[in-house]
Parts: sequence; C-alpha cells; structure tokens
Amino acid sequence: MESPKPYSPTNKVRIVTAASLFDGHDAAINVMRRIIQATGCEVIHLGHNRSVMEVVDCAIQEDAQAIAMTSYQGGHVEYLTYMRQLLDERGAPHIKIFAGGGGTILPTEIEQLHANGVTRVYSPDDGRAMGLQGMINDVVERSDYVPPVSEALADRVAARDPIAIAQAISCAERGEHAKIAFVEGAKRAPVLGITGTGGAGKSSLTDELVRRFLLDHPDKTIAVVSVDPSKRKTGGALLGDRIRMNSVSDARVYMRSFATREANVAINPHVRDAIAILSYAGYDLVIVETAGIGQSDSQITEVSDVSMYVMTPEYGAATQLEKIDMIDYADIIALNKFDKRGALDALRDVRKQYQRSRQLFSQSIDVMPVYGTIASQFNDPGANTLYRALNDLLIQRCNLDWTSSYEITDEMSEKIYIIPPDRTRYLAEIVENNKRYDAFVEQQAELARSIWRIQGAIDQLASVDEH
Amino acid sequence: MSTSTTTSTTSKHAAEAASPASAIATLEQRKADLEIQLHHDVRAMLASWEAKKQSYQGEFYSYTVRGKEIRVANHTESLAHTRVPKISLPAFKDWGEIVRWCMQENVPGEFPFTAGVYPFKRTNEDPTRMFAGEGGPERTNKRFHYLSKGMAAARLSTAFDSVTLYGEDPDYRPDIYGKIGNSGVSVASLDDAKKLYSGFDLCAPTTSVSMTINGPAPMLLAFFMNAAIDQECEKEIVRRGMEDEIRAKIDAIYRERGIARPVYRHGDGSTELPDGNAGLGLMLLGVTGDQVLPPDVYDECKQRALQNVRGTVQADILKEDQAQNTCIFSTEFALRMMGDVQEYFINKAVRNFYSVSISGYHIAEAGANPITQLAFTLSNGFTFVEYYLSRGMNINDFAPNLSFFFSNGVDPEYSVIGRVARKIWSKAIKNMYGGNERSQMLKYHIQTSGRSLHAQEIDFNDIRTTLQALYAIYDNCNSLHTNAYDEAITTPTEESVRRAVAIQLIINRELGLAKNENPLQGSFIIEELTDLVEEAVYTEFKRISERGGVLGAMENMYQRNKIQEESLYYETLKHTGEYPIIGVNTFLSSKGSPTVIPEEVIRSTTDEKEQQIGNVRSVQQRSGDATAEALDALRSTAIRNGNIFDALMEAAKVCSLGQMTHALYEVGGQYRRTM
Repeated sequence: MESPKPYSPTNKVRIVTAASLFDGHDAAINVMRRIIQATGCEVIHLGHNRSVMEVVDCAIQEDAQAIAMTSYQGGHVEYLTYMRQLLDERGAPHIKIFAGGGGTILPTEIEQLHANGVTRVYSPDDGRAMGLQGMINDVVERSDYVPPVSEALADRVAARDPIAIAQAISCAERGEHAKIAFVEGAKRAPVLGITGTGGAGKSSLTDELVRRFLLDHPDKTIAVVSVDPSKRKTGGALLGDRIRMNSVSDARVYMRSFATREANVAINPHVRDAIAILSYAGYDLVIVETAGIGQSDSQITEVSDVSMYVMTPEYGAATQLEKIDMIDYADIIALNKFDKRGALDALRDVRKQYQRSRQLFSQSIDVMPVYGTIASQFNDPGANTLYRALNDLLIQRCNLDWTSSYEITDEMSEKIYIIPPDRTRYLAEIVENNKRYDAFVEQQAELARSIWRIQGAIDQLASVDEH
Repeated sequence: MSTSTTTSTTSKHAAEAASPASAIATLEQRKADLEIQLHHDVRAMLASWEAKKQSYQGEFYSYTVRGKEIRVANHTESLAHTRVPKISLPAFKDWGEIVRWCMQENVPGEFPFTAGVYPFKRTNEDPTRMFAGEGGPERTNKRFHYLSKGMAAARLSTAFDSVTLYGEDPDYRPDIYGKIGNSGVSVASLDDAKKLYSGFDLCAPTTSVSMTINGPAPMLLAFFMNAAIDQECEKEIVRRGMEDEIRAKIDAIYRERGIARPVYRHGDGSTELPDGNAGLGLMLLGVTGDQVLPPDVYDECKQRALQNVRGTVQADILKEDQAQNTCIFSTEFALRMMGDVQEYFINKAVRNFYSVSISGYHIAEAGANPITQLAFTLSNGFTFVEYYLSRGMNINDFAPNLSFFFSNGVDPEYSVIGRVARKIWSKAIKNMYGGNERSQMLKYHIQTSGRSLHAQEIDFNDIRTTLQALYAIYDNCNSLHTNAYDEAITTPTEESVRRAVAIQLIINRELGLAKNENPLQGSFIIEELTDLVEEAVYTEFKRISERGGVLGAMENMYQRNKIQEESLYYETLKHTGEYPIIGVNTFLSSKGSPTVIPEEVIRSTTDEKEQQIGNVRSVQQRSGDATAEALDALRSTAIRNGNIFDALMEAAKVCSLGQMTHALYEVGGQYRRTM
C-alpha cells in the first residue's frame, strides 16, 4: 500500500501523547508521536503509565487541540470515558480524544466510546486500511482548529484558572495581543531562568527544584515555562520536558511547553508575554527553562531575575570553558551528573572560570556559586544546597518576604554507587575470564592429543619391535 | 618423501635410523614432559573417562543430592524393545577430543553444565507451571485449584492486574476502577494473598509459587511470606488444639474494632471453597499469627515457614527499565530493595525461594533478537552479582537464590539458548567469582514466545508453540510454560490452556527421542551454533562494558534503543515478506487470512471490583495507629539505610499495598520516565 502524503496543518497544532494508566506498552505511542511530529505538530509527550487527571491537566495547561492515547492493558472504556468527562467538566469540551489499543479494544467498545464522546478509536483494521500516516493525517486534520478563548479572560486568569492562563498564552503566540492587554502593568513575578547544554539533565534538575520549592513553601505557587526547539524542516516539535517532571501534577504548579517556532533562537519571543500573564495570575515564582542550543543561551538572562546554567563535567578540556558565554552571565552554575569522572576537577575549573570572568580574584574560589549535583539521585545533598542558594538569591534580588526552612548539610553530592567505580569493567573481565578458560581448554586438549599420539606411536613402535 | 616409496623401505629406513627401543625411550621422555604440563584435573578427567562412560551403561546411575543417594534408571525401553540411553556419551578415542568435550560440554550435571544443571530430569514433576490471574483472589484461587487437580505438585504461577503491578490500591476512580482484576488478579493486602493461595500448603515441598511482579515486588513478597507464616501458625494452632481459643481471640479483636471480619467470598456472594481447597490459610484471615500466639511460638512458625517456602518472585528491575516499564521507584532505590530482600533471605535462611527471576522474556517480547536477549539478561544477572558482592554478601549465599527466565522463539539461536547461558554463567561464577558448584548452576524457566503468535490463522499458533517447546525441552530447561494459541487475541480459555499443556505432555511422554536427555549433544550444528552465540554474547558484553557496564549503558538508554532497532528490523522484514510467516504474510487462505477478532473477553465483574475496593479500605482503616506507625517505621528504616524488607514484613501485616508504595515514594523517589 502506498503511504499517503503527510497532511499539512494550517494552524499550529498541539497534541498530547501518552499511554494509559498502569500501562507500560509505549512502543506504539512512540511510533505515533514521531509521525505526528513529522506531520508538523507540536507534541507534548508524557510517556507511559499516566492517569486521566495527569493527561487532562497537561492538555488544558498546554492548550492542546487533542490528546492521542494508547491503551493495551484493559479498562479503556472507563479510562477514555472518564477523560471525556473530566475535559468537559474543566471547560475543555473542544479537546479531542484519539485512541488505539490494537485488538484489546473490541469493536463494540469502539462504538460505545464514540457514543461517549471519544473522537476516534482506531482499530487494527483501520490501521491496515489507512496506514500509519493515514491515521495520523486523520488525527491532525481533525485537530487543525483554533482553540477557543474564554469569556472574561482577565478575571479567570487572575483567579489562576489553568485553562484561561493557557488560552491567554496562546493568544500571545498567535499575536492576538489585544486580548491580553489586561496584563500590562501587573507586578512582575520573580523569574528564575535555567538553561544549559542538551542532555545535561535540565528538566530533571528543574523537577528536583520544583519538588523542593513545594515542600519548602507549602502555600506558594509556581509556574514552569519550558522551551524546546522547533524542527525547521517540518515545523513540528517534540516538547519533551514534561515527561521528566514528576512534581508538576501538584495543583500549585502550572506548566507550559513552548516550541521556539523560529530557528536558532533559544527562547520563544512570547516567553515574555507568558511571564506577564503568569505574573498577572499571581504565581509566586516563574521558572523559565530554555533549549540548550550551545553558545547563544545567554538570552535567558534578559528575562530572568536569577539565572542558572546547567552543565556536566564532560565538556572536554578546561579551555573549552572560556567559550561558554553563560559562565560569564549566569548567577549560579549547576555541575550536574557530578558522579561522572573528573567531576572534582571540573568543579575547580568551572569555579576558576567563573572567578576569572568576573575578576573576583580577591575571593576564594570555594565561594564561587558553582554546585555539583546529581539530579537523578533522590534527595541529593548537592541539589539541596543548590536549591537553597537559588532560593536565597531570589529573596535577595527580588526583595521577597519568603522564609525558607529548607535544611541543608555541608555534604557534597556523593554518588551512592550500586556498582563501585573500580568494578565497572566487570563484563569485560568476565569475557576475559571465560576466554582464558577456553584458551586453557584448547591448550590442555592439544597436550592431551599429543600425549595420546605419542602413546600411539610408542604402541606402533613396540609392535614393530615384536616382529 | 622421495625415499618412502614403499612400506618396506620405510620401515627398513626407520629401523636403520634408530632402534625401536631407543625411539620408544625418546617418546616416553617426551610424553613424560608433556604429562607434567597436563593439569591434574585434566589428568583425572582422562583417568576416569571409561568409568564415567560405564556409569551410564549399567542399569542404574546413582548420585547424591544434599546427602541423599538417588538412583535413576539409565535407559528407557521403546515398544520395539530398544534400550534408549537417557544420557548418550561420545565414542571418542582421541584424548584431545575427550578433554575438550569434558571441559566445554560434559554430561548434564557437571561443569560447565552445558547440557543441563542436573544429572537427570525430575521424573515425578513435569516442568509445567499453572498460570492464572483474573478477578479477585477468590476467583484465581478457584482457578489454581482447578488447574492443579490431580497433579503431583502444585506449581502456581501468578499474574497480577495492572493496578497491583504498579503498586496501587483498587479505587473507584474510573481510570483505576476499569483495571481492577483485569488481565491478572488484584492483590492489595495480606488478606488477599491469604485467600489467593488458600488450600495450598505454602511450606510443602510439593508447592511452589511464582509471582510475576517487579516494581512493587518487595511488598507483594512481604504479603506472600506473611501468608506462609500465618499458614504455619494455623497448622501449629491445630496441632496444639487451640482452635477455639484462637477463634475467641479473633472475635474479640473484631468486636473491639467494631467491624465485620473479612471473609473468603466470591463475586456472586457465595462463600463456598472450591474443590480441592480445604481452607488452610483462612483461619487467621483478618489478623496475623503474632496477634494471637505467644511470641516464641510465632517466631518458631515464622522461622519454619521462611526456611521451607518454595517459589520465585520476578523482581527484576533492570529489565523493567530496559524493556517493560513497570518501574515505580527510582532504579537505584529499587535495586537497593532487591539487595535488602536478598540479605533478608540470607539472614533468615530462606533457601528454596528465588529472590529474583532475571528475565529476558520481556526484552525479547519488546523486540530484541535472541542474542540480545541472552546478552542483556546475563549482563543484568552479573550486575546483581556485583551489587550483592559490593554489599558484602558471599557469592555462595546468594547465587543459588538467583534464577533466570527466557523467551523461546523460532530463531535458530533459540535451539542453544540454555546451553550458552549455562556455559557462560558457570565459567564466570566458578573462575572469576569463586562460587561453588551450586552457585555455578544457572537454572531457568522458559516460556514460548508470545510475540511469535499471530492474530491471523490462530490455529497455526500451536504449531509454532510446539516447535519452540521442543527446542526448550531438548535444551534441558528447568521449567517451561507453553502459551495458548488464542493469546494473541484474548485471555486464554480453559480449552486453549489445556491444549497448550498437552503440547508439553506429548513431547515429554509420547515423543520417543525426548526420552533421551541430551539429544542435542554431539551435533555439529548445535556445537557450532553454541560457539557462535557464545562469541556474540561476549561481543555484546564488551559493548555494554564500554558504556560503563549495565547501569552506565542504561543511562544513555543503550539497551532500550537497541531493542527498538531490532524490533523495527523484524517488523520491516515481516512487512516486506522477506521474513516469511505462514498465514500472515504468505500462504494466505482464499479469504486472505483475516485478523481474528474475539467476540468478548473475560473481564472482572462489578461485584469483584467493589469487593476489592471495600476490602482494601477496610485494611487501611481497621488497624488504627498501628498502620501509621508501621509506615513511619518503614520510612525511617529507609532513611537510616536499614533493611527495608525487614520493615516491609511488619508493614505488610497492617498496611495496604498503595500505602506502602506511597510511603516509599517519599523516601526513595519515584521513577522518572525517559524518552
């Protein structure tokens, strides 16, 4: 069968993708999300094992046009019906629901789900008849609409209604600034800007900071704005930060993912509008996390009160540090993945570079605000110290009346090893060990064969002797 | 060569060159020099070779297992009165061949265990597991009793519903509600575990229980162990004639609580026990032995239960992160708990229970080819070894508690998967880790591939399963599960499961060649494939090693990506038809072999769901402060690096699964998804 051409959407289409609750089957949704992205959409991928509440909160906060789910573990009728119900209750009857689950969703159930307001459930037969691209074209075409904007937007944003905030931000993205004129003059919320190289663990670290903020300030709210690059070729984007954020399911958190929608910029031009809207909504802190696209990340400092640069010890030679703009601009530097080889040297070198770039030679390099962290490690002492430093700096810079009771220790981040570092070669050692045995077997077998042959020769000679 | 034109001139020539006597002396000297270089084990091997062959030729073979002498008939007789040897040995004369064979192949039961870890197969127990899991514990209990009726041994294999697999409690929230008791049994408390296995003596040597659970494995294991302990308490109560006294105590406890005692009750309301269930395990439903027995008696029962209980818990968190995604805790925390379980097993002398089933099945089901399956699984296994050693455990204390689980497809490599696995494992454990013989023995369960079953022409699936089962049995697996042909489209029925079991029984009992227990040995292709696969596994080990070992490679999602690539390769070849699948992409019927869609599938009933929700809520509330205290103790044990499983054994008595999971999230961190 010939594959149809990808549909070309006229609007910016945003689709949330996920696999159902208690369902680890993510192979199909991973294939789908890639095709959706290649069809020019912005995909907010949540991965597997997601509750209806998490998916619905995400779709609303992200002002998505549609949700695409897979479910292979049963309970799909209840799950998808509940999703429709919750979307309707939260004022988002326009958000479409698409789903698939191979043969686990029976034809009768598909009918029932369509009757319950699920836009379309694709069966294995649909898959064969339409092909993957055909199915995705159907999804995208049906999602190619401008999402509605609520009445009384200003009041609802002020009341911190997530759907209104999401719509206001979309208005900014569409250039409908008149609709959000109300935000002008609002007192600006403190903004923490985070940037860094791809793969440095920005979103994990951001998640860890949000988790600590929520624990430390039980009555405060926080918004996270995250920016990922758009693909120039298709206009699509994979907005992949949300999948890492375990703490955003808290009601005190709002998160919005942006695609840059322009090449070669680290920050979406509408991030400033988003900050204004979130300030108007009264969030106590706004975190802006931007795509790490190398050496032009310093734009982040223009929108933030306190800025942080996330890097890892794996930057190469110390001279490479001289090329990193953000070391000159960031208030604080997180040296994440501090368990990597050479971390202590890196810490010293980055501190030196920080000191040099600011001519702080009168101070000890130990007081330079560079922190080793292991975001992947639970309750990491380095991440605790970093959180506290950021918190204190925000209070000082923005004159905040926050009180932090977050306790930190003097400990450095230290990896609690599962496999001790001097044992990481164990598999290579096993290969060497087993091959040594094999070589020994061959050597012994050859010896035994020689002995046997010599014995044979002796026997032959003895028989010659007898004649 | 020009001089040796005829035999007579040659011998004349030789005779002229040196006398035979002096030549013999020279050769004897050379032989003696070489013999010195021969390792003493090898010398012994050669010296005992003829005797070894003899031992398989007499009427009986005798050997000892844990001090007990076992005598096994060496032959079976066919209808034509052929005496078929159970173990057939090579007719080699060349010492080189004998040495190589003894050191790389050897008879079953001897290092390197290539042909099998035991000298002979068990005769009283087919390696058939009775697989079940649906609805509430009562329904699955009934099914277990149905499946094991008339069988010499109860080998129960438990599938849990997805709510349980992710460590949560049944609830009315619709996204949870729809999944209660579907595709597996719902188990959220100790009461559920007691009902699930009631009527089976969990400490009898003929009972073995396997639990397919990973993320929340430590909690489910704690439920299971407590169920076994309370069964031992129950037996002790009966022995001492204390039934009335104990009943009165339990009644008093529930009078004070002001609620009804939990009962064994089916979804339809009937409280009748299924055929075969005499009620063992239900006397202490709703309480634990320590609430009604003196501490010393309880401790004795506990010790006895732990030392006798037999089974396996899957608990392999590495393959979850690499392939199956039922991770709930951060990987490091989950590994730490696995270590705690193993440490607890050592301290309490839990010897007959496998603390982990190191699984390749899910890696293969996710799309990995057999070499990748084997390499990833073994490398995961060695990672557990390294981790447990680093915690100060002794190799011989834990290695016998490790077991393996593979998938068996139709690919050629599957004909030698057990051989290669056993060989690699034993060589490494013996020579690198200094483990004893018991530690060197890799034991595995194998299941025919679910992925190889198709939703088109589903009748053909049994043929595939039969071939895979044949591979597995010839390869001397320790335990085998054959899939039902309709598994590709629905939950298997009693009829399809019976057919699947028949596949194994026909091979084991009817197929003549299978009476021989080493039919693969001596085949040129099997030996060559063994070498090729072994080498390929080492190549993969080196790739993983270059990435910092298993955990280092996982950080960069190496395993996950490789599995996906291989899956895509298969799908592509299947799609283009280069990889032929009969009745799927070739040999289609006149109707085009359409996908079979089931009319309906077995689902749990509303009554069962409501009952599970009611039960778990009661468990959460009935123990008052004891629940909160147990959860606090659990959290503080985790924070001060104590043995978490020790604390879970206590918490499991008074907490629900979800309560324990959430308490641990606070101190260990939740799993963070990756893309």
